[in-house]
Amino acid sequence: MMTLSNISARSNQWITPNIAIMAVFLFTAPFWLTAVGLYDYIGLEIVIWLIYAMGFNLLFGYTGLHSFGHGAYLGVGAYAFGLFQHEVAVSLWGGLFAAVAAAGIAGLFVGLFLSHRRGLYYALLTIAFGQIFWFSAIKLRGITGGEDGLLNIPRPELNLLVTSIDLNNNVALYYFAAIILFILILFLWRLVHSPFGRILQAIRQNEMRASFAGYEVWRFKLAAFTISAMFAGMAGGLFSMAQQSAYPDVMAVHQSGLIVMMVLIGGGLVSFWGPVFGVILYYVARDILGGITEAWLLWYGLMFVLMVMFRPEGIAGVIHTLNQRFSKRPATQKAQVT
Amino acid sequence: MTQLVPHIFNGLTLGLLFALIALGFMLIVGVMEVINLAHGSLFALGAYFALTIIGVDPIADTGLGQWWLSLPLVSRYVVALFVAPVVTGLIGMLLELCLRRTYGRAPLYGLLLTFGAGIVIEETIRLTWGTGEQNLTIPDAINGATFFIGSIFSKYKFFAAGFSILAIIGVWLFLEKTPYGAIIKAGAHDSEMVRALGYDLSKLRLLVFGFGASLAGLAGIVMVPIWGLRPHVGIDVVIPAFLIIALGGVGSFGGAVIAAILVGLTVGITGAYASAWSMMSMYILLIIVLGFRSRGLFGRASALEN
Amino acid sequence: MSINKINRRTLLTTGAAAGGVTTFFGPWKYNRVLAAGHTKPIKIGLTSDASGQYANSGASDRRGMLMAIAEYNEKGGVLGRMIETTHIDTETTPATGSRVAERMISREEVGFMIGAVSSGVANAISQVAQKYGVIYLNTNSSSPTESGENCHRVKFVWDGNGSNFAQAAVKNAITAYGDKWMLLTNDYGWGHDTAAATRKLLDQYGGTVVDEILVPQGTRDFSSALLQIQQAGPDVVAAAVGGDDQKSMRQQVAQLGMGSSPAWINNQQDWPDVYGLPIENLFGVFGTTWYYKLDLPGVADFVAKYQAMYPDTSMRVPGNVFYNGYMATKNLLAAIERAGTTNNIAVIKELEGHVMSAEDRMQHHDAYIDPVTHQVQQTIYLATANSAPTETDDLFEIVSNTSPDEVQDMGAQASCNLESYDDTPTFDA
Repeated sequence: MMTLSNISARSNQWITPNIAIMAVFLFTAPFWLTAVGLYDYIGLEIVIWLIYAMGFNLLFGYTGLHSFGHGAYLGVGAYAFGLFQHEVAVSLWGGLFAAVAAAGIAGLFVGLFLSHRRGLYYALLTIAFGQIFWFSAIKLRGITGGEDGLLNIPRPELNLLVTSIDLNNNVALYYFAAIILFILILFLWRLVHSPFGRILQAIRQNEMRASFAGYEVWRFKLAAFTISAMFAGMAGGLFSMAQQSAYPDVMAVHQSGLIVMMVLIGGGLVSFWGPVFGVILYYVARDILGGITEAWLLWYGLMFVLMVMFRPEGIAGVIHTLNQRFSKRPATQKAQVT
Repeated sequence: MTQLVPHIFNGLTLGLLFALIALGFMLIVGVMEVINLAHGSLFALGAYFALTIIGVDPIADTGLGQWWLSLPLVSRYVVALFVAPVVTGLIGMLLELCLRRTYGRAPLYGLLLTFGAGIVIEETIRLTWGTGEQNLTIPDAINGATFFIGSIFSKYKFFAAGFSILAIIGVWLFLEKTPYGAIIKAGAHDSEMVRALGYDLSKLRLLVFGFGASLAGLAGIVMVPIWGLRPHVGIDVVIPAFLIIALGGVGSFGGAVIAAILVGLTVGITGAYASAWSMMSMYILLIIVLGFRSRGLFGRASALEN
Repeated sequence: MSINKINRRTLLTTGAAAGGVTTFFGPWKYNRVLAAGHTKPIKIGLTSDASGQYANSGASDRRGMLMAIAEYNEKGGVLGRMIETTHIDTETTPATGSRVAERMISREEVGFMIGAVSSGVANAISQVAQKYGVIYLNTNSSSPTESGENCHRVKFVWDGNGSNFAQAAVKNAITAYGDKWMLLTNDYGWGHDTAAATRKLLDQYGGTVVDEILVPQGTRDFSSALLQIQQAGPDVVAAAVGGDDQKSMRQQVAQLGMGSSPAWINNQQDWPDVYGLPIENLFGVFGTTWYYKLDLPGVADFVAKYQAMYPDTSMRVPGNVFYNGYMATKNLLAAIERAGTTNNIAVIKELEGHVMSAEDRMQHHDAYIDPVTHQVQQTIYLATANSAPTETDDLFEIVSNTSPDEVQDMGAQASCNLESYDDTPTFDA
């Protein structure tokens, strides 16, 4: 079976062809979104969820730790951003810093608890903590606004030294989020191919063996969890800007399940780029199906079932297979394991 | 003034209901190491099948339908109680056939496939039976209130709790006292051996999954007179079931039953003294228990840990 | 069409904060500019839930809107323009509500949006709608915050809210059942707001609160709460429990036979939530804004029209949710007609303070749209289970009707702060 380790990496390069393609897509999107029947705002949401999904896959795909309560950190980031604007100052960087820091601290705290656990128990504890965050968000009305959410979150302007850019426009915010996503992709790409990233993959392949090799496995698990929570926090901060509100629903367990679903369908288990395909497919399919039929979930569910049955390696896996077939490259590089 | 005794008693009843909800899920996880996220949808499906069997709406105007409706509710209810879970079990078997493609891969794929199947089942329910709230009528004998230890309790709750005890005993007998149980348990851990002994493992899996699904359906039929019946009624089932398994320890049948009772007591007593925290209490319980015992109360090593 | 009115596309692209330091030149310049010709249909986005907790009410809501629109289209539309609709599921999830609103405005280019049952969703949609100046009708969310702290210039609220219902019920119930009250409150925003309104009225009319039981959202088993109620033995239980929780609660109260003693005051009872259920499940006194058996002119015709338009719907008679969806849509279209333009500000001004006759509303009293809160002030009915039904669907017995002035939500008046017209982007739909 295919794994993350056997799709060729070009791990020593800063900018690979794939990253370049991604950049082109990312930065030209507003020019063609309308032409393909989409709209600016959905592009913005996709970019935000990509940040979330890419960070999530560091934990899920690379480290093999199954978190089913990751929405909590997205929510924490969103609330932190909003509260910073309301209570401290209207500031873009301050808000985003607060979002990342708050989600990171929450992730660190939960991670400390989780990191000695494995498999199913690990997954279950993530759910339990996720539920607690979710309940708290609904219960602490005075802070979070309860089920109505934290409303009227401003979109602070982007202050560059020479000029400032108003982000109230969805396209402007899109570009801002896209730049952040791109920087984070570069960062993640380095990270997963660094010695640290290799240890995470070793943990996924065999936690016992990794610990026998002398690594303090739990520290790495903790780090992976915290980093992915910080990614979620960044996404949450941007999400609360996009929606100009923060809602508890993103923290609910079925919403957390969605990110798992997206990452898997996209092929996050076999490719760095898996989450990208998954998030785009989810949003586009939901938007198109949702506009056509009220029973869109039925079709979506069916598609999902068939995908798991027949293409479990996800879209990235399919693309990889097609690629190999067309380029007629011998599949020898497959065997390389980190 | 809050009197504790009725609340403890109520908590025990709740615990038995939690056990009933978790039973089918527990069987499939414990024996097949598949996390069946369609459990909640099968739960709802069972209740809807029972609804149709009792009311026979599609054929209510035919001679056969008229004859059936002329029977007393008790007999129709009893028939539904047996037939609806069997039909749900057949749907479960269908799901197991799809699930076969994921065997040998990470447990995650089974979980995902059943997640998708759960959505499909729920949406099909919506299309077939409509989105509205429906009512599963129960015979008068088990309806109404009864007076006990100074408080009013629902007769139906007692019936449901009693039913849960029967179901628990039934599953225990199946696992411990039938040859199937032994083979299945061996199969979960050593499929080579089972094959060597000449048993058809795939048939066994089909059977177990079907059994687990029908237990889900049965729980649905028993629970909806308390919860009400709507297409998404099953969403409140999977998480508690999940939690109970983790608390009791994967693979431990007794552990899960004890965990269910513990959850019931926790929720019941929190409900009496700090009702706003009653939902959260079970998660806190899980975190505390797993904080001290990494495999739950009675867990043993399982492939799901990898 | 005057020159200073902005076309939808231009509006979208310059964003709500016109005059900001937008030096950002993006691709949106290339977007097609639509000619606002008068034969172009008027597009309305229906934002009712089709999945999640309120899927069923959402469907009913939508049927109401569609009937009103069909009536207008039969007459040749509004201002000579036919009405087109588009519907997207808001999933009873606020975050989805935001996205759907963004999509409807920017991709479908709708001029108006209608529909909500959940206050979270209504809120989310209205925030986006305000940003673009698109008029939004919240048809069926009864949270007091909708016309209070979360009110918007573009949003109009058509249902009675928790505070209205409490005012209609509390005073009478103290006289009828006693002054020892217990509150059973869903532990989230709507529940707390409604309980607070009840408490205030109890203080005012001399009732006492023995205890308040908070039940978390998502509670399926009310046995602990019901035991506590038994042990405290109040005269009246005022329940502010909503959604699926309420359905479970009703089921369990009925089984315990606790529906008549103590007396129950249920804030509001949506028709789609109880339709088709046995009468025992309905207990206590509850509020509603309309009933299909009201003895008023026009009601019977309205019911007949519903049945002709929706012959296959399992709900054989229209309820309050359908009614609100219908009335909201009809009055919006009428306002456009009166304004003689689809300009949003003109239509908003036409709606604000508008008085609707009792006859047109098929209610006992005249109703009006409060210009301060944008909530429709209307007759509030109290109902109870019908012990002598004339047909299977005849579930309610209407026990009283209260005029809008007696049940006005003064809290909303104080906390609502509408955006000014100038801060609301203007356009012709």
